[in-house]
Amino acid sequence: MKDLTIRNLSKTYFDPYAGTNVTAVHDVSLKVEQGEFVCIVGPSGCGKTTILNMIAGFIPHTGGEILVGGRPVKGPGPDRGVVFQSFALFPWRTVLENVAFGPKMRGVRKVEREKIAHEFLALAKLTEAAGRYPNELSGGMQQRVGVVRALANEPDVLLMDEPFASVDAQTRMTLQEELTRIWQEKRPTVIFITHDVAEAVFLANRVVALSKGRVLEEIDVDLPRPRSWDALNDDARFKELSGRVLQLVRSA
Amino acid sequence: MRHWLSSALWFASPFAVLIVLWAVLIPYLDVNPRLFPHLTSVVEAGIEGIQDGTLIRHVGASLLRVAVGTVLALLIAIPLGVAMGVSPIVSGFLTPLFRFFSVLAGIAWIPIATLWFGYGFGAITFVIFNAVFFIVTYNTLLGVSTIPLQVRNAAASLGAGRWAMLTEVLLPGALPNIVTGIRTGLGFAWRGLIAAEMIATNVGLGYMLFVARDFYKTEVIVLGMIMIGVLWLLLDRLVLAPLERATIERWGMVQRT
Repeated sequence: MKDLTIRNLSKTYFDPYAGTNVTAVHDVSLKVEQGEFVCIVGPSGCGKTTILNMIAGFIPHTGGEILVGGRPVKGPGPDRGVVFQSFALFPWRTVLENVAFGPKMRGVRKVEREKIAHEFLALAKLTEAAGRYPNELSGGMQQRVGVVRALANEPDVLLMDEPFASVDAQTRMTLQEELTRIWQEKRPTVIFITHDVAEAVFLANRVVALSKGRVLEEIDVDLPRPRSWDALNDDARFKELSGRVLQLVRSA
Repeated sequence: MRHWLSSALWFASPFAVLIVLWAVLIPYLDVNPRLFPHLTSVVEAGIEGIQDGTLIRHVGASLLRVAVGTVLALLIAIPLGVAMGVSPIVSGFLTPLFRFFSVLAGIAWIPIATLWFGYGFGAITFVIFNAVFFIVTYNTLLGVSTIPLQVRNAAASLGAGRWAMLTEVLLPGALPNIVTGIRTGLGFAWRGLIAAEMIATNVGLGYMLFVARDFYKTEVIVLGMIMIGVLWLLLDRLVLAPLERATIERWGMVQRT
């Protein structure tokens, strides 16, 4: 795991409908320390997914720089694991093979990579599902696979793009709790994108509020870990922090 | 196993009814065998054809042409379709062309095929090749271009290079479309084959039918028709459908039909 530095990042593209250039991300700077969990929160269209796609290397940035462990990002790579809102599992691969995919690409032998995959599946309580195909699993279970598939490849940074937005509310809370548990165990460097303020505060060490492509403010979350919804639902500090972030995001 | 047996019986039952009607009605109505044969004479023609080897020879020739034409077509169509599907610009440009040639019936190639290859194996294999090639290329192209971008991104961010992207993502991702393409293409190829054999050769099931007509041998004509239908059903039910079941249905990429 390594740190991530973003300096004066911007993204301008030509909008063929408007006929003009649009700036989706405007001069964003951000430093994420090794092992830190940072949530970027903001409304739809604030540029948060664009930032994540640039860090992942899926789209080029038009200004500034992105450094992972001091090295500039040029295209997608295994140093940055990605968890997608749409899960993006390989339907033609079993759960085990999905999780073993990253190690396989690194040339890890079959026996060894399946051992790694089993270990990570156990971490997400997915041992039973190892031999099944993604379409046989519920959305919540598919996203558990998505998370451990990214983690099993031991990326320097884990990028999560609204990963829990398409599962039901109860499952989402369970997944959030599991993610904090897994994070505490493995301590990956995480950038987590969401529009859900409570989710951001629940998960993060630090919340970055974003609006119209600019960083509004960074708020440290000093809530104790391990975190659970049972404990935090009525927690005064949690409410205070959530309230502040919500106000920031809404006022912008 | 019981389920398999009962569904096979259910599948065969309308044919059984048809055969019984045939066996009873044709003699009862005293139909001229020059117009339609008795069941018994078709069975005799079949036994005779097997014993003297002519039937085997015709069937063998037809199957060989289909096999060679199809394998050649797949070897070129799948890599070409993948290559085209990777680039949205190339695929967008070529799609109308491949759609056009996909719907152009295989038999339409016969005149030009006989000019190029003469009568016989070359011309007919070329017709088969065309029937499979264009549809499979088009379907492969379609299959590759419908793989969600996020799935390709996921593979890239897990460290997949160009080759792994091809073998681990693009090919399996396009497989549902490829299999559909092969099934449709072979269906066209089989029809085209019979038509082509009536015109452009002196061996094969189509030829067998066409020549029998000159001698009013209706039992050979009907035998040939039955062989054509049965062979296709066997090919589709025993090879293509299980292939589809074993892979893409299991992955949930197509619905069971």
